[in-house]
Amino acid sequence: MYNVRKVTDDLYWVGANDHRLHLFENIYPIPRGVSYNSYLLLDEKTVLFDTVDWGACRQYLLNIEHVLDGRPLDYLVINHMEPDHAACIEEVLLRYPDVVVISTEKAFLMMTQYGFEVGENKIQVAEGDTMDFGKHKVVFVFAPMVHWPETMVTFDTTNGVLFSADAFGSFGALDGKLFNDEVDFDRDWLDDARRYFTNIVGKYGPHVQAVLEKAGTIDIKILCPLHGPVWRTDLGYLLNKYDLWSRYEPEDKAVMIAYASMYGNTESAAQVLASELCERGVTNVVVYDVSTTDVSYLISEAFRVSHIVLASVTYNLEIYPKMLDFLNQMKSLNLQKRTIGIIENGSWAPQSGELMSKFMDDMKLMDVLGEEVSLASSLNDVSYRELREMADAIAEQINGKK
Amino acid sequence: MLYQTTEQHEALRQRVREFAETEIKPIAFQLDQTNGFPAEQIEKFGKMGLMGIPYPKEYGGAGLDVMSYAIAVEELSRVDGGTGVILSAHVSLGTWPIFAFGTEEQKQKYLVPLAKGEKIGAFGLTEENAGSDAGGTETVAVDKGDHYLLNGNKIFITNAPKADIYVVFASTDPTAGTRGISAFIVEKGWDGFTFGDHYDKLGIRSSSTAELIFNNVKVPKENLLGKEGQGFKIAMATLDGGRIGIASQALGIAQGAFESALGYAKERVQFGKPIAFQQAISFKLADMATMLHTSRLLIYSTAELKENHEPYSMEAAMAKQYASDCCQKIVDEALQIYGGSGFLKGMDVERFYRDSKITTIYEGTNEIQRVVIAAHIVGKPPKQKSQRRSRTKTAGATGPRKNIMFNEGSNEEKVAQLVAALEKDGYDFSVGIPIDTPIAEAERVVSVGKGIGPKENMALAEELAKQAGAAIGSSRPVAETLQYVPLERYVGMSGQKFKGNLYIACGISGAGQHLKGIKDASTIVAINNSPNAAIFKNADYGIVGNVKDIMPLLAEALDTGKPKESAPPMVKIKRARPKKQAPDYNFYICNGCGYEYDKELGDEASEIEPGTPFEKLPDEWMCPKCGEGKDEFIKA
Repeated sequence: MYNVRKVTDDLYWVGANDHRLHLFENIYPIPRGVSYNSYLLLDEKTVLFDTVDWGACRQYLLNIEHVLDGRPLDYLVINHMEPDHAACIEEVLLRYPDVVVISTEKAFLMMTQYGFEVGENKIQVAEGDTMDFGKHKVVFVFAPMVHWPETMVTFDTTNGVLFSADAFGSFGALDGKLFNDEVDFDRDWLDDARRYFTNIVGKYGPHVQAVLEKAGTIDIKILCPLHGPVWRTDLGYLLNKYDLWSRYEPEDKAVMIAYASMYGNTESAAQVLASELCERGVTNVVVYDVSTTDVSYLISEAFRVSHIVLASVTYNLEIYPKMLDFLNQMKSLNLQKRTIGIIENGSWAPQSGELMSKFMDDMKLMDVLGEEVSLASSLNDVSYRELREMADAIAEQINGKK
Repeated sequence: MLYQTTEQHEALRQRVREFAETEIKPIAFQLDQTNGFPAEQIEKFGKMGLMGIPYPKEYGGAGLDVMSYAIAVEELSRVDGGTGVILSAHVSLGTWPIFAFGTEEQKQKYLVPLAKGEKIGAFGLTEENAGSDAGGTETVAVDKGDHYLLNGNKIFITNAPKADIYVVFASTDPTAGTRGISAFIVEKGWDGFTFGDHYDKLGIRSSSTAELIFNNVKVPKENLLGKEGQGFKIAMATLDGGRIGIASQALGIAQGAFESALGYAKERVQFGKPIAFQQAISFKLADMATMLHTSRLLIYSTAELKENHEPYSMEAAMAKQYASDCCQKIVDEALQIYGGSGFLKGMDVERFYRDSKITTIYEGTNEIQRVVIAAHIVGKPPKQKSQRRSRTKTAGATGPRKNIMFNEGSNEEKVAQLVAALEKDGYDFSVGIPIDTPIAEAERVVSVGKGIGPKENMALAEELAKQAGAAIGSSRPVAETLQYVPLERYVGMSGQKFKGNLYIACGISGAGQHLKGIKDASTIVAINNSPNAAIFKNADYGIVGNVKDIMPLLAEALDTGKPKESAPPMVKIKRARPKKQAPDYNFYICNGCGYEYDKELGDEASEIEPGTPFEKLPDEWMCPKCGEGKDEFIKA
């Protein structure tokens, strides 16, 4: 049975939800599932925007067939070639052999690489090219490295709909609720939207900034991303988040304590620090165990907060592997402009403090607090004093006291 | 060709030898013991017309050849190595650059009195961070229109502070490395030009060696030697010639030691005959004589090349390296021949043994000589990648510091600001440690440098230490030369290392070796009357002012009115880290793959040197990861 929703006049959501996939990109846990969004425009011509993941293909084909209601499919616009959106190109071509594919040069090259035979039925567009489908005129705007190089976005100048590819997307299945005003986004969606952006697009902040700059010049009414809710109200809210994330500015004056603890002693120090911070009025504090928390959640929080405390045991004279994994992810995703607190532990040769400190020094604009805490196995009077000094320093920065 | 000196050469040798034997030899031991400089003798040597041997008569010189000069250095060194180097540094280093690169006016003004021996010359190249590698020169000369403003320090300068005229090298373009170095003629006595630490040397103790300190010294435009940026070339050319001088010095020291040992070996009888006839000793003498002969031939032939304007850079390096290496062996064997007697002070071989060592070190270490020689043989090495510079600003010798100066208001107000800052950092001045706590165990130290002035001011420092709850320490000269505090209380690389929290440096200029001894201090406070003192760049807090005024004010401000309570076990106060600054240039990111071009890294795969700005990349440059062109990059 088909399952479609009307987005606005002439435009229909023909995508699908997926709760069976455990790991998005085979790496990110998605306990709330994911949606693959595709949109179908019924004008004098019929225009399909992107396809879906192979796993959702059957639902997708039923949806198209229903919305077309016997009309031919004239155009398929491919904004983004990643297989969670492009896997069904071949199937669409087989079912609608006269369809003309519209995309970028790099995307057509990738179609060849993936084995999709488009043939002569294609229109290769350049930045700023326009197409007229009858009532609706669209303009194609390139968005390289958000987060693939072939990516473009398509703007319908008639009704202000922006088909934004992976930008403004989120993990989480829609489960019926297509629009942002049908959900409590702050409560139910923001964390997943952040986790999606920071882990997948986070590295490409300057490119996102370039797209935001272009977006500032057009009057967007509706945002149609390839995952997650369609935005038709309060667009500024999301654009503001994207602006912060892509400039690597913290969202909140908050503290994230990420600890790596083998027998609970480092964990205990992390918890003591959390209490000390709250005692000082800093209550926006979160504590994570790096061993049991998927690193994508750690990254998401690292992008949110202003202060990150890294508490790690020394392991084989190195940083504990799970902690090192987190640090490597932060570095490769280009995170910057954070204040870092360092807590090390070691029972015979504590090394992790110096190593983590050096790691942060090698990153861009990461400021390590001078107040480092060194534990010999567990917290004692001296290291407790160091810990309180760290709490003082963080509280002073967050509370803005002199 | 006959490898022999001329009669004129030998006549000169006799003249210099006679001078050395009669004027220097009787006082050589005394000069060595007292670190004395033979001022009168050098003046007399000048009057004999021998301080400008290789320079033309019209400029006040003797109009003789380079070999004559080499012979003169050799003969002085044969009696006293220290006296030999006075002549060598004067002629080769202080005078020659003016002779070779000076304008006519500069020659009239400076070369003439130098060549006549009326004035003594010296050469200032070496710095704390620019020894063998002159590219690290940190002394700067800023063009101020009608003059240059000179700031910086030079260390290990032979003939300083006795010399009157100094050829000094400073960077006029710090971004250009060795190509930014220029040479200047600087006179003793100019405002802001002072001398630093006295060096207590192993050998050549009759030569004077000191630090040059330039504090906003105005150098007239006409005292630029050569052109701007030519300094490195001038320095290298000068050192080529200087190497003949040092080779001759080494030869002279070795000759003196050899003759002394030969004489002793002929007199000393063991097993019924002079030891010179024991094969063990005679073979030593044979080897020594051979080394002397080969050294001499190498030096004289190099002098002849220079005299005849033939290339001689490689030969000068060979002569210096070979003669000084041989010298080490010869003085060693000479002392060995003397046996236990040679180990005693007052024996000339004991002095030669110590004097010889410097010859393998200065004027370019013998390792550098081999670099020079090898470069002549194998040519220039393949293009070397410059090292990646750190994103963060390089910190001083004591690591990153706050560098906060209290400049506002009266001395009382500056002191009050300092005390407030220290208290905010967590210092509790109601507690303290005994003033005689060993430096290594002290939580706080009040340390004095030569700026403390006369000994009675030590009472002020001790009062400050008491009120700061600190032990007392000092710089090396205060303990070693002035002897205001016992030797075990001086702080520095060679002395005690301070690893506690608070270090208050009073009248300490901040020599490199001192700074290395306090790099682990949590907080460094500097009080000094010179705003350019290195200590300020290495301190958290600084007050420019006379220590005599500031110390009592600070002591008063720290006085709680009660005796200090005994300090609890030390808790190390954490160092402040300066906030990272964004780089002053943009990264460029590839549209094809997200690759980031960072000019600090360059692009090794395409042979783009680190430091190349994106704009300067060649048009055909492509992204090393995906092959996109330059125009497919966006500014981050």
